[in-house]
Amino acid sequence: MIFRAVEDTDLIRQAARGSVEAYNLLVSRWEKRVYNYLLRLARNREDALDLTQDVFLKAYQNLRKLDDPGRFAPWLYRIAHNEAYSMFRKRRPESDVEEIEPERLEAAMSAGQSDVFPIELGLAVSKALDRLSPDQREAVVLKIYQGFKFEEMSEILSCPVSTVKSRVYSALELLKLELAPVKARGLS
Amino acid sequence: MSCSPFDLRDYFLKELTDPQQRQVEDHVTTCSSCFEEMEQLRLTEAALFSLRDEELPQRIAFVSDKIFEPSPVRRWWTAFWASGARLGFAGAAMLSVAILVSAMTRPAPAPERVIVERTVVQPVSDTEMKTRVDAAVAQAMAGVEQRHAAETRQIKTDLEDARRRLLLAAEYSERKDKRTQTARVGLYDLPEDK
Repeated sequence: MIFRAVEDTDLIRQAARGSVEAYNLLVSRWEKRVYNYLLRLARNREDALDLTQDVFLKAYQNLRKLDDPGRFAPWLYRIAHNEAYSMFRKRRPESDVEEIEPERLEAAMSAGQSDVFPIELGLAVSKALDRLSPDQREAVVLKIYQGFKFEEMSEILSCPVSTVKSRVYSALELLKLELAPVKARGLS
Repeated sequence: MSCSPFDLRDYFLKELTDPQQRQVEDHVTTCSSCFEEMEQLRLTEAALFSLRDEELPQRIAFVSDKIFEPSPVRRWWTAFWASGARLGFAGAAMLSVAILVSAMTRPAPAPERVIVERTVVQPVSDTEMKTRVDAAVAQAMAGVEQRHAAETRQIKTDLEDARRRLLLAAEYSERKDKRTQTARVGLYDLPEDK
């Protein structure tokens, strides 16, 4: 277990009172997680970096509106979700967000794969995630990679828990069909 | 269809409580189909985690960086408005200063003058005073005499009316007596032998 000298909630309270140093520390703790979440949504490093920057700036400007510091993570990811979808809409205002093509998808997704696994597995995961709808993919990213609870995801995505569960379960079934055999082959 | 006491996906997604997790674990050790399902989910999770988180290509700019640094005036202004107590104290101080300045610059108001109208009484000579008194007395006496004359006339009129009514009543009474007497005479003078 990791013991932190200062808890996030204390940093949030200090930052809300105007402590820039506290907020900087908060950013350094959360930037990697937020960046990777946005990278898996935007599937482009530059966009993910720009969005991450915008998210933390917006969070700083609105930190006083956060009533419960214990809800910082869902609140921050809600901002990230909104910023990402706002960018998608600006890029393709005439088309549905779901139709956005992944930009350099495979390069982006396979860049972070572990060296201990075959390249084949990394590509398979990328392709399997790409086959999911944007809603399903985001649900998987929030649940599997970011470890949020269903209720927190409901807050982030601004939809009922039942919808969140449905997205995660359906995505999991598809991923299981695609990935479990590949992984099993890799292990054998 | 899973025969697990709880949804295996919820177990896999860590949405169950600790006792529920233990129940599923106990069940999976005895149920081959659920064990197989759990293995599939574990393989899927392992495959998904083959994609690791990336490091940021460059650090996020802190709000303390120069590009975000607001001007000293803006910082002071933001800090000023952020503190309710400080704002209240500043408001009270401004009010005090305003009262002090107002007291020092404005002259004290002069007391209001009460204008009393004085009636100047001119001196009157004894002769004049006597003449005025006599005139006032004569006027009062004339009024009294007029009032008495009117009352006397009213009394005379009333008495005259009363006298006339009495005379009429007497006359009426006299006529009535005469009619009664006549009738009695007629009654007694009836012929006896008829």
